[in-house]
Amino acid sequence: MDVREQPPPNGAASRPPVSAHFVNNVLAAAASYIDEDPDYARDVLAELGQFLSYRLREDPAPVSASQELAHTATFLRLQQARFPDRITVQLPDAADVFGRVTPGTIQGPVETALGRVLREEAGPCSVALGTAADGLELSVRGAGAPDVVSIPLTEVPL
Amino acid sequence: MSGLVVLAVDDEPRALADVERLLEASPRVARVETAGGGREALLRLGQGSFDMLLLDVRMPEIEGIELARLLRRFDDPPEVVFLTGHADAAVEAFEVEALDFLVKPVTRDRLDAALVRVEHARARRHGGATAVPASAPEVVALDNPSGAGKRLVRLETITHVDADGDYARIHSPDGEYVLRASLGHLEEDWGPAGFTRVHRGHLVNLSHAIELRSLENGTAVLELRDGTELPVARRTVAALRRRLKA
Repeated sequence: MDVREQPPPNGAASRPPVSAHFVNNVLAAAASYIDEDPDYARDVLAELGQFLSYRLREDPAPVSASQELAHTATFLRLQQARFPDRITVQLPDAADVFGRVTPGTIQGPVETALGRVLREEAGPCSVALGTAADGLELSVRGAGAPDVVSIPLTEVPL
Repeated sequence: MSGLVVLAVDDEPRALADVERLLEASPRVARVETAGGGREALLRLGQGSFDMLLLDVRMPEIEGIELARLLRRFDDPPEVVFLTGHADAAVEAFEVEALDFLVKPVTRDRLDAALVRVEHARARRHGGATAVPASAPEVVALDNPSGAGKRLVRLETITHVDADGDYARIHSPDGEYVLRASLGHLEEDWGPAGFTRVHRGHLVNLSHAIELRSLENGTAVLELRDGTELPVARRTVAALRRRLKA
């Protein structure tokens, strides 16, 4: 079951749904930390709140690439809460990404590629985002060949 | 029963740690083992005897549904309960005859209800006590009469069930469904949700009943909110009247 978001009022293409599977598993992970590390459990819940606020907001207007990168970092921290010893992450400095992008431009491809590796492979995996000539290059590596995806950061007009 | 022996299987280590903690705190559970995937689970299943397999649906290597299918080949397979973030996998779960289906993160009450169902199923399988379980399933998977797969139906929406040969014909506002089960079996399973046998051929969800009318011959008619009228057997009338008054 996926939580479908409201269609954007300006008729733009709708954003991908928030995965109920992801939300349920993050909540289960947060519950698991309550006894042994209550502060971290609270952090996980707060970050899930931030993640959902960003994804479910009614205004789908373009955001700065650095905002989208921060959202992607939140998403990856939530995934690390689910798989604490499995996922390593490398992200560019927010100062190195520019422009305004559609929400999901960076986080969407990261979710897709990481989801495939987590679903199909056991063992550790790494997520690396690096700057490229026209945007970012994403590499997600598990036990098999890495998924490499080019993410152009095309300026979206306001 | 001295307590259930449970094998919990999940590729998500934190979700596994959470449910392990809940299970260890339950007085119904004697021992908990865990496995981080389907292969490890198969290994443990071959090495020991378990009453319950608490199983994630989607995992790398061997998916939970596939593992549940493999279990059918065991002489005395554990009862399978799925615990998953995939709420939409419930139909698949019931198709492999899972006893229950829980969505993460599970509450202690809901997990306890599943444990009670496992206790009951184990007792029935091993010919022991067959006490009525304290809880009924919230959702049941029923065959579409058209033959187009299964459909999940909330138990509370089912108004009544008619015996139809080897099958039960189930009535809900969404339509009619069939299930290969006896009314006696359904009464045992669904009794905690308010279902009771009013006639050899009819099981009714009393939360949908609005009026019991006595007839001169000692039998009665039970009217449901949707206008359905069901015959009530003579020997059932007094008990049913007491129950409706309560």
